[in-house]
Amino acid sequence: MTTHTLELKNVTKRIKGKTIVDGLSFSVREGEIFGLLGPNGAGKTTTIRMIVGLISITDGEVLVNNVNVRQNYETAMERVGAIVENPQLYDYMTGYKNLMQYARIMPDVTQERIDEVIKLVDLEYAIHDKVKTYSLGMRQRLGVAQALLHKPNVLILDEPTNGLDPQGIYDLRNYLRLLANNGTSVVVSSHMLAEMQMMCDRVAIIQNGKMVRIDEITNHDEEKDVKVHFHIDGDVHQAKQVLSDGDTSLVLEIIGNELVVETADNKTIADLNRQLVLAGILVVGIQRKTKTLEERFLEMTKKGGNVNEVAIPVNK
Amino acid sequence: MKWLSLLTNEWIKIFSRLRTWFFILIPILIIIGVAVYDKVATDETAHENWKQELTANIEADKKALEDTKKEDGDEFFIEMLESNIKQNEYAIENNISPYEKTTWQYMKDMAPISFLIGLFVIVVAGDIVSSEFSKGTIKMLLIRPYSRWKILLSKLIATLGFAFAMWLVVIVSTWLVGGLAYGFGGIDQTYIVQSEGGQIKEKLIVEYVFANIGLEFIELTVLVALSFMISTLFMSNSVAIGVAMFTMFAGDLVIMLLQDKEWIIYTLFANMDLSVLIDGQNQFIQELTLPFSITVLAVYTMVMLAITFTVFQKRDVKA
Repeated sequence: MTTHTLELKNVTKRIKGKTIVDGLSFSVREGEIFGLLGPNGAGKTTTIRMIVGLISITDGEVLVNNVNVRQNYETAMERVGAIVENPQLYDYMTGYKNLMQYARIMPDVTQERIDEVIKLVDLEYAIHDKVKTYSLGMRQRLGVAQALLHKPNVLILDEPTNGLDPQGIYDLRNYLRLLANNGTSVVVSSHMLAEMQMMCDRVAIIQNGKMVRIDEITNHDEEKDVKVHFHIDGDVHQAKQVLSDGDTSLVLEIIGNELVVETADNKTIADLNRQLVLAGILVVGIQRKTKTLEERFLEMTKKGGNVNEVAIPVNK
Repeated sequence: MKWLSLLTNEWIKIFSRLRTWFFILIPILIIIGVAVYDKVATDETAHENWKQELTANIEADKKALEDTKKEDGDEFFIEMLESNIKQNEYAIENNISPYEKTTWQYMKDMAPISFLIGLFVIVVAGDIVSSEFSKGTIKMLLIRPYSRWKILLSKLIATLGFAFAMWLVVIVSTWLVGGLAYGFGGIDQTYIVQSEGGQIKEKLIVEYVFANIGLEFIELTVLVALSFMISTLFMSNSVAIGVAMFTMFAGDLVIMLLQDKEWIIYTLFANMDLSVLIDGQNQFIQELTLPFSITVLAVYTMVMLAITFTVFQKRDVKA
C-alpha cells in the first residue's frame, strides 16, 4: 500500500464571501514529486499557505504525516520544509546567519548538516556575504537550503524555479528527484507547464480554485493523444485529398507544409505513407508527436492562444 | 520545544542591525558630552557665595509674586513662586547647597534622557513585528513547528529585554561618568521638595534616582506594549512609531486641552510620565498618585497585549 504523506480533503478557502479554493482534495505519495499547475490566480499559493498554516482553512482538512494541521500544528510542521512564493531573507545578515536562524529552531540540525546543505545548493563561496548582495538565484538557493535543513519528508516549494538560470533549474530538478528517490514527498507549484512536465511524477491541474484533473506524467505516451506529422515536399492539399479518399474516418489537419494525422497505430502510419508514396507525393519526413501537457493544459483551462503568454513569470 | 532559541534568534536580529548600536552609543555620548561641557564651561568657584545668590533669588521671586497677585495672574504661577521662595529659604537655613554636585546629583539631572531611551525602544518595538511583514520574512518564521503565540512572545520578551538592557547601560554609564567628573560620593546628599500640604522637606537624592530607575522600567514596558500592538495591528512600523511617539511626547498637550474633563485621569496620556509623581511637584493633574497611575498603566498594558496576541494568532498571512 502506498503511504500518503500529505492529504487534502475538501479544502476550501473563502475570503469575504469569495471562494478562492473550492473543495480541493488530493493525496501526495511518499517519494513522489507532485505538481500543482494552474494559471496565475488559480489558488495554488493559497492552497500552499493553508497547508503550512499561514492562512486559516475555511473548510476541510489538511493532514501532514497523518497529523491534522489545524488541530496539531506544531507536530504537523516538524517534518515540513517550505518556500512560500519568493524566499524572503534577512538582508542585513549573512547567508550563514540566515540559515542559523532556522537551524536553531528546528529539531536535530547539526553543524555537519548545515555545511552539507550549503554545499548542496552550491553557496559555499558566498555564504558569509550579506544577503543583500545576493542575486535572485542565490536567494532562491538559500531558500531551498533553509527548507532542507531539518531533512523534511514533505517539501513544499512554491514556484521554485523562479529566478534560477537553466543550469540552476537542471540542478534543482536532479536534486528534487534524488530527494524523492530517498522517500521525500515534494510538492511544487508552477504555471510553467514544460517545467512541470519535466519535474513531476503527477500534476494536479487547478483552475479557479478547483481541481480540473490529476495527470500521471510518465504514462502519457500510452494515451491516444498522439499525432503523426507527414512532412510533404509539394502540394499538401493534394496529399490530404489522397488520404481522405482512402479513409474518411481519419482526422486530417494541415499545418504549414505538414499533414497531421491523429493516430497512434504503427500499421496505420506505414499504410498512410505507402498511399502517399504511391500517389507520387514526396514524403520527406514522418514524425510522431505526443500532445504535451502544455497543450492539454491549455485545452482544459480554455486559455488557448500563445503558450508564452501563460508561461511568462509574473513573480519577481 | 526549543522556545529559548526563538528568543536567541530575535535577540540576534536586533543586534545585527547597525541602528541598534547607534541607539546605545548616542545616549552614552550625550552623557559624556554633558559632563565634559559642564566641567569645561562652568566656573566651579562661581557659586561659592550661593547663599547670597539664593537670597537675591528670593527677593526677585517675592517681587514677581506681588506683581502677579496685583494683576490677578495665573494661580499655577503664583503657587510655583511661593514654593520656590519657601524652598530657597529652607536651603539657606539648613545649609543645603543646590549647586553641590556628585554623581547622584548628575544622575538626577540626567533623568530626562529616559525620553531618548523611550524613543529608541519605540523604534525597535514598532519594527520587530511589522518589518517581518513588510519584508515577507514572517512567512519563513511562521511555518516552523511553533504556535504563533510562542513566536510573538519571543519577540515581546526580546524587545523588553533590549529596552531594559539599554536602560541599565545608560544608568551605569551615567553613574560612571558622573562619578569620574564629580566624585562617587554623595550617597547621603539631600534635596528640597515641597510636599502636598505645602510643607518643605529634605529628601535623599539617591531615593529619587532609584525611584526614577524603577518607574522607567514600567514606562518602557507600556511603551513596548503600545508600539508592539500597533505594529502588529497595522503591520506598519511608521504608524507604530508615530502613534507611540505621539503618546509619549504630545501627552502634555492633550492633557492641557482636556484637563477639565474628569475622565482624563484614566487615559494613557495622563499616566505616561511617572517620574513627575515621585515628588508630586509641577504635577498637571493633582488627582494622580503613583499607585493609581501604575494600576491604570497595568490595565492598559494587559489589554493591549491581549489584543496583540489575539489578532496575531488569527491573522491570515499574505505578505
